[in-house]
Amino acid sequence: MSPFWVGLIVGVGAAVVQAFFKVLPPPAYGVCIACHMRDLVNWVFIRIWPIYGVSEGVPKFLGADVSKVLPVFTIVGILVGAFLSALVNREFKLRSMKFGPQRPLSEFFIGMGVMVSALLMGGCPLRTALKSAYLDLTAIIALGMILVGVIVGSEVLKRSA
Amino acid sequence: MHVWATFILGLIFGWLGQRVRFCTIGGMRDYYLIRDSRLLKGLFGFLLGAFLGFLVLKPFSSALKTFPWFLNGKSVFLAKWSTMGLQAQVHPLLPVPGDPISFSPNVVAHLVLAIIGGFGLGFLGVLAGGCPFRQHVMAAEGSISAMAYLLGFAVGALIFHKFIGPFVSSIFA
Repeated sequence: MSPFWVGLIVGVGAAVVQAFFKVLPPPAYGVCIACHMRDLVNWVFIRIWPIYGVSEGVPKFLGADVSKVLPVFTIVGILVGAFLSALVNREFKLRSMKFGPQRPLSEFFIGMGVMVSALLMGGCPLRTALKSAYLDLTAIIALGMILVGVIVGSEVLKRSA
Repeated sequence: MHVWATFILGLIFGWLGQRVRFCTIGGMRDYYLIRDSRLLKGLFGFLLGAFLGFLVLKPFSSALKTFPWFLNGKSVFLAKWSTMGLQAQVHPLLPVPGDPISFSPNVVAHLVLAIIGGFGLGFLGVLAGGCPFRQHVMAAEGSISAMAYLLGFAVGALIFHKFIGPFVSSIFA
């Protein structure tokens, strides 16, 4: 199995869940890490602290329409699937980076920044790719901008190393 | 139904993604830095699979009637705008709903958000050492850095919807 085939399988899966399993609206929502995490977190948080969801005096679900009653569970699936796979193949090991941008504390803030950037344009790289495949022209431009960001980030890493 | 469908898709994606170290941003980074296209092919596979999936399944499902978006997304905007009492032209660049100004007819605002968000995602993604999906897999493999990333990810979502999203939509309103 190579990354190409995994991408192909999951891409088809994302189309199938939209076509036959009611993962919409919005369209092109079959796989997304940032949006699905947002739906899950907001769904849980509104039940813990109902005031959080109230905007301008009316309770409102902050997230995609599909997750209003029950949230999408992609994130849980990925964590369980990857954990089982790591366990079965003896790759599970507690570890941590001690220095550089991948220390736990700086990763916390990078994670926040990535979530904010992703929600600004309505999706993580995966959903941007999914929207591009759905022929949303703005998403194709966003995908190009991700590439520009990666190139600038790689240069920064190269110079600082 | 969507709960089980997304859970099972996530399970498959998590398992296979862990085996092959699937990563979208890592693919672009590896190709740029060391001309290794292995992970980048994963992103192309995803694009190809999703596109073919949409194309082939379109005749069998009414859920795909808005594909391709730049042609058929028009009706979604017109229906939404008529409930809001808004008269505007549908531009082919208007994106799939999801950003903080989802149904705004302002194309330039959508493009600005896509450009800022895309750049931030690419830049911060490289610093973090992988795309959000890869971070989830690494957290499940026991990386404490990736677990901290996930925590920040969740907190970021809460902050975004309480403060940043309303602020952004008030700028472009």
